[in-house]
Amino acid sequence: MGAWEFYAVVLLVYLGTNLLSVWGLNLQFGVSGVANLAYIVMVAAGAYTYGVLTLGPDTGNGGFQHYVIGLSLPFPLAVVAAATVGAVVGVLVGLTGLKRLRQDYQAMAMLVVSIMAATVVSADTGLLNGNEGLSLIPNPFADLDPELGRWAYVGVVVVACAAGWIVLRRLTTGPMGRTLRAMRDDEYAAAAIGKDIVVLRLMVQAVGGAFAGLSGALLAAFIGGWSPSAWAYTETLALLTAVIVGGMGSDRGASVGTLVVTILILQGVQFLPQIPSHPGLTEDLGWIVLGSLVILFIFLRPQGLLPERRPSYAETADPGMAEVDAGRRDG
Amino acid sequence: MLHTLIQAVGFGVAAGAVIALGAVGFSVQFGISNILNITYGALMTLAAYLGLFLVDAGLSAWVALPLVGIAVGVASVLFHRGLLAPLVRRGTRSFAIVIVTVAASIVLQYIIVAIVGPQAKTYGAQSGNTFHVLDVSLTTAQVTIILLTVALMLALHLLLTRTTLGRAMRATSSNRTLAQSCGIATDRISDLAWLISGTLCGAAGVALAITVVSFDFTLGAIFLIPMIAAAVLGGIGQPYGAMVGALVVGVASEVAGAFSDPVYKDVVAFLILIVMLLIRPRGLFGAAWSARRLMA
Repeated sequence: MGAWEFYAVVLLVYLGTNLLSVWGLNLQFGVSGVANLAYIVMVAAGAYTYGVLTLGPDTGNGGFQHYVIGLSLPFPLAVVAAATVGAVVGVLVGLTGLKRLRQDYQAMAMLVVSIMAATVVSADTGLLNGNEGLSLIPNPFADLDPELGRWAYVGVVVVACAAGWIVLRRLTTGPMGRTLRAMRDDEYAAAAIGKDIVVLRLMVQAVGGAFAGLSGALLAAFIGGWSPSAWAYTETLALLTAVIVGGMGSDRGASVGTLVVTILILQGVQFLPQIPSHPGLTEDLGWIVLGSLVILFIFLRPQGLLPERRPSYAETADPGMAEVDAGRRDG
Repeated sequence: MLHTLIQAVGFGVAAGAVIALGAVGFSVQFGISNILNITYGALMTLAAYLGLFLVDAGLSAWVALPLVGIAVGVASVLFHRGLLAPLVRRGTRSFAIVIVTVAASIVLQYIIVAIVGPQAKTYGAQSGNTFHVLDVSLTTAQVTIILLTVALMLALHLLLTRTTLGRAMRATSSNRTLAQSCGIATDRISDLAWLISGTLCGAAGVALAITVVSFDFTLGAIFLIPMIAAAVLGGIGQPYGAMVGALVVGVASEVAGAFSDPVYKDVVAFLILIVMLLIRPRGLFGAAWSARRLMA
């Protein structure tokens, strides 16, 4: 397998897993207005769940890493469990928004949740091997020929993305999509016509969390390791950049945003010249570019590259109202 | 046992003093402009490194502290004027503004790393003499910071209650439109509030860097936890509440740290924050109007 083929596989897997998590975040943030700055915690929950369920007991390999559970479960079971745990963690984190706090207040609380979770997991070595993280996480195709195994894995990611897209579109289009957007645009109006805001928010947290957990599990199985440095609170911003650049509330926009962020930014900086005295400099530049992109887009093009389409309704029978409708659409 | 407790309370007061500097500044910013400024943490990190630069240049950390304070104060005014105020004017939603402040804090944090590198830094030993009050032994640095915080809080108190300027600030904080129609130049008042809160932020950053063994570029981001906990506990937007909140968070964290693993210090601050958000998001001293502002 050539270097470029390997690179293509890595890029495709990253792209697929990023798509899943950005879709979930866009469902929460873009479509429903839940400012979940702890999103990466749900990705991590999925990755760790997959890790501890597929690894054997932690006495194996000379007991060099310490973690809980260790069931050696097969890949499909562990992935389903990871998505479930992601959903549960999403609901737990979402409970802080149950009191109907202001959106920015919720965002701040979730940011703190994210920083805290990483601090605790890093410090406690008995739980998930602390700062070192889990390694030797099993790949489902380890027994196959390496080349075939890698492409088989790409196949699994593609299937997961296709399934994810179908679930996502059921929620973001049609009646459910309109309900969620109504909640985002005017919470009180949505409540007044009988929508249960708290239940809807928790549902969105659960579904988005499941997307995150699935994404984390697929990523951890591919890389073979997972540690706190992979889910610093800044990682949520990378996913958010994809949502904001692509277009908040637009599924296609979020997908385009993922493409831009994954390929142009995260991979693009790899092509910058390395400066030996500053080994991490290109990565630092990547973060500076991502942060600046968010600020620039919110300033100059808040609707993103592919804006959310306003829903269109059938013409009203009353000609006067039809005129108002037309005016509203043009405006 | 009792000795450990008393010692931990003493350390808690010292930690609370640093938290108070940060939390009061954070609270003043929110009170005056209704913005939750997450970049505050990154500005603290910036302060710590500016202080390091001055200390490396041969200055005493105590001389560096006010200089850095004013520099960060000015930076904070420019940040508000240049980035946040225009967004507020064009009606950007509050959570988009929080995301801008998160993005700005990441940009600032990684500019700092790109320049100084990820290694842990230190101001060098600042210990000096050790004071023994009752059963508590505190270093000169800790005692100085406690006294400095008390002096700054007193000064802020006098400013807010005894001067026309302070009254204008409180008026702007409680109802901006009404204050404006009374002839208060609210834009200038808010510049001043960002200068004061930025200065407190800078002072807190240097004070924190003096008291910790070593620090890196995540200093401010991690300090957001006790600081926001203190501000929320006291009722965000309420400077006095933040002072009390800081003392409670500082003492509770140090006591918990003394009797268990030190890593649980921040967990205690975090639990205080979450419990407050669930039960009484307006804080212990929050008035009914501030509760209205916090709920959606």
